[in-house]
Amino acid sequence: MTRTESAHGLGDAISAAPPAALAASRLTFSRDGRLVIDGVDVDLPVGSFGAVIGPNGAGKSTLLQLLVGALPVDSGTVLFDGADLLALRRRDRARLVALSEQHGDGDTGLRVNDVVLLGRTPHIGRWASEGPADRQVVADALSAVGMSAFADRPFDTLSGGERQRVHLARALAQQPRLLLLDEPTNHLDVRAQLSLLSLVRAQTAAGITAVAALHDLNIAAAYADTVIVLGEGRVVAAGPTASVLTGKLIGDVYGVRADVLRHPRTGRPLIAFDTT
Amino acid sequence: MTATIETPSRPAPFAGRELRRVPPTAWVVLLSGILLLSIVFSVTLGPADIRPAEVWGSILGHLGLDPTALGGQVLSPLRDGIVWELRVPRILTAAAVGAGLALSGTVMQAITRNPLADPYLLGLSSGASLGAVAVILLGFGLLLPVAAFAGALAALLATLLLAGAAGALTPTRTVLAGLAVSSFFGAVTSLVIFWSATGDTYREILSWLLGSLSGAGWPAVAIGAGALLIVGLPLMLTGRTLDAFAFGDTAASALGIGVNPTRWLLLTATALLTGAMVAVSGSIGFVGLILPHAVRLVAGQRNRVVLPLSALAGAVFLIWIDTGARTLFDPRELPVGILTAVVGAPVFALLLLRARRIR
Amino acid sequence: MATVFRFSAHARRATPLLGAVALLMLTGCASAAPAAEPSKPAAPAASAYPLTVENCGTEVTFEKAPERVLTIKSTSTEMLLALGLEDRLIGQAFPDGPIPDALGGEDVPVISDKVPGQEAVLTLEPDLVYAGWESNFSADGAGDRETLASLGVNTYVSPAACKEAGKPDTLRFDDVFDQIEEIGALFDVPGAATELIDEQRAALDDLTPVSDVSALWYSSGSDIPYVGAGSGAPQMIMDAVGVTNIAAGVDDSWTPFNWESVVDANPDVIILVVSDWGSAEKKIGVLQSNPATAKLDAVVNERFITVPFAATEAGVRNVEAAATIAGQLEKLGL
Repeated sequence: MTRTESAHGLGDAISAAPPAALAASRLTFSRDGRLVIDGVDVDLPVGSFGAVIGPNGAGKSTLLQLLVGALPVDSGTVLFDGADLLALRRRDRARLVALSEQHGDGDTGLRVNDVVLLGRTPHIGRWASEGPADRQVVADALSAVGMSAFADRPFDTLSGGERQRVHLARALAQQPRLLLLDEPTNHLDVRAQLSLLSLVRAQTAAGITAVAALHDLNIAAAYADTVIVLGEGRVVAAGPTASVLTGKLIGDVYGVRADVLRHPRTGRPLIAFDTT
Repeated sequence: MTATIETPSRPAPFAGRELRRVPPTAWVVLLSGILLLSIVFSVTLGPADIRPAEVWGSILGHLGLDPTALGGQVLSPLRDGIVWELRVPRILTAAAVGAGLALSGTVMQAITRNPLADPYLLGLSSGASLGAVAVILLGFGLLLPVAAFAGALAALLATLLLAGAAGALTPTRTVLAGLAVSSFFGAVTSLVIFWSATGDTYREILSWLLGSLSGAGWPAVAIGAGALLIVGLPLMLTGRTLDAFAFGDTAASALGIGVNPTRWLLLTATALLTGAMVAVSGSIGFVGLILPHAVRLVAGQRNRVVLPLSALAGAVFLIWIDTGARTLFDPRELPVGILTAVVGAPVFALLLLRARRIR
Repeated sequence: MATVFRFSAHARRATPLLGAVALLMLTGCASAAPAAEPSKPAAPAASAYPLTVENCGTEVTFEKAPERVLTIKSTSTEMLLALGLEDRLIGQAFPDGPIPDALGGEDVPVISDKVPGQEAVLTLEPDLVYAGWESNFSADGAGDRETLASLGVNTYVSPAACKEAGKPDTLRFDDVFDQIEEIGALFDVPGAATELIDEQRAALDDLTPVSDVSALWYSSGSDIPYVGAGSGAPQMIMDAVGVTNIAAGVDDSWTPFNWESVVDANPDVIILVVSDWGSAEKKIGVLQSNPATAKLDAVVNERFITVPFAATEAGVRNVEAAATIAGQLEKLGL
């Protein structure tokens, strides 16, 4: 079967399962005349956690930027809970969708509180000041990521894991219903990685739908409900994590040999790699 | 599995910490007070020996009040002219220009995410210089503000078109396009001077290039204060939008900011404000570059706070620098651009030493 | 990225401002010519060559009277014409204004409106370049003095315009006359020099100085007025006609001043220096358009006096400048 067939076949299967929260269809985007995203569909039910995986340059980050409206799609639609996301005004969209990006740099001079308060931008009137309600949301977001004690610390002095959590808090302060995360575990040690993903899962448990671009297949395997596999801007495969992540698919997409085992305690897939 | 909370382990990392505890509104009130006192006090200073009571009398008289009320004193028409036609408009212009330049600098630095950005970033200064030098040499000195403003706008337009030609108006493209336009306009200015400067018209040009408030009368106040009111005040309220750029364009966009339109709008507004200031004062350096940083070192990085404080600090700073320029070498005048750097740089260095956070 | 920003920011500031400022320094500097005491060789009755003079700190030796002279600025051209040395002039450069008919010189070619470059100077094969400003001799101007000397070209600067060497406290007519005498000696025309000096002394003696008249010597500028100060040719001329200079307190030939001090002093008359680039009308316009200076007695009563720019730098026309000012004062009833 061809890649396209597989993608559409699976996409249809998922959208048939109600209730579909996020339904992006036939997204295309080209940069400098080259198709970077080529007819991609994404379908996720409410409160689920979807992982976008794929090799470098597959278009994972671009896809997230299309979903959040930071890049304009050439064609395609994004529905969230029935609403046409891309037709919304930016501010309105920013109250529904939040994006937490990977950031290596940091010379912002802002305090942690200020960074999280940025998440209130779409909620506060353009010429208005934040109110007590906004400050409460910020405090709650910091508390949700376990960073309350850091509220007054300069952001630039935090470790990588702490920063990622603050970025997550900033996204949460937007009070989004769709949370997008771009490589949230990059540069983090293993404990920080696991703790961050647990935080995301806690949010999906509360009804937020989450999509994360992930490099680490075992992280995706351990946490995601659904996996969307991108290759050269197209969906290679999509569906429930356990059924999509097969040794053959990983071999096809990444060009490595992989055996999918079963985690002895969680029962989730566990991937062992081998290049020969 | 639950998130584990790491305890803060590092010590408080910067010296200015206590200062940041001062609430922003307190800073605004404090600086507004200092600004008012600066205006009142600097009017009494100048080469001509005029008593405070006379200054007071002149101001009361022009406000339609009895000059002798409240301890004022009647003064001769000429001395009245010194106060009301020379000192007062000059001080008010200094305040407006200082505020406008500092405000523009803050916005430019935030929107290009470049700490070295200043109000003249988009080639504004060289464009204005070309306009000004051209009219000085052609002998239409009275058209100078108009020509300077037109030159600044021409440079702005060239920069924005060049930077935006390939689509997104990224900070890097903006800065580089500004560099190209600056260099070109600067070279044309030099060519014009070389070609046609005669006698000592160069002195007039020099004074303009270094920046000077000596020619500021009431029309200059109208231009400066008008621009500050119409363009500067709305700019002062864009802090939240500017803050949203702290983590880059994509993050800003995800926060609901239209990145490209916002950047065009803010750059254009800043350029209009700077153009008006350059038109009345020449290109006074340093204020727009350093004052925003000085304010950040003391009051933190949030643009919502930095914008109004920069404006106030810029006004106070330039009033005193210009007062120094007119009185220090009495009866000679020092070009104000020299003093801004001579006084401002050490003050800034001091702040920099205090704030170890900046790497 | 950071490197690019840094570079750009610096280059940007440097290009429009510093470049233009540097250029300005080149195109027209040193009209703030400090007065200097001319060196005084024992004035010979007939010149005995080789003749060595100290000129602005440079020793210049003349083997014979110069025959091919290039002059830069009006004061030097006019000096030679006044001494009847027109036949020695092969060209003039950087004239400040028209030469008075009485001095002749219409046939002397103007080789450049500005300071000529070294090559332009050397092609003419002068044996002397005589400049009104010391700054005219620089590598990017007519060439520096040592270089020209090594090529066999003598150089001479109007001593009143010397920058440092032998700077006198105050320029006096005697200093101007000493210069006439020195030029007379160098060109072996001492008789003509003596005659000119006597003539000028007599003209000076004829002036009836006024008293109790204060004046502003308004040379140029609009926002910052550039005025005649206390120790140069403007002060010397004002002393000769008896007016009090309101900017006498500044120890310089010319100085940037400020309108507040002018208004405070409220001078009786305003002396307007007139040139191609700064007409009397323009200066009167500046005075009238500024509400503070418009109230000055001299502006209200239009007590303006004009004097041509070329006559206001130390040279043979200073006496004429004094005479024209005296005449205009008289017409104003002062």
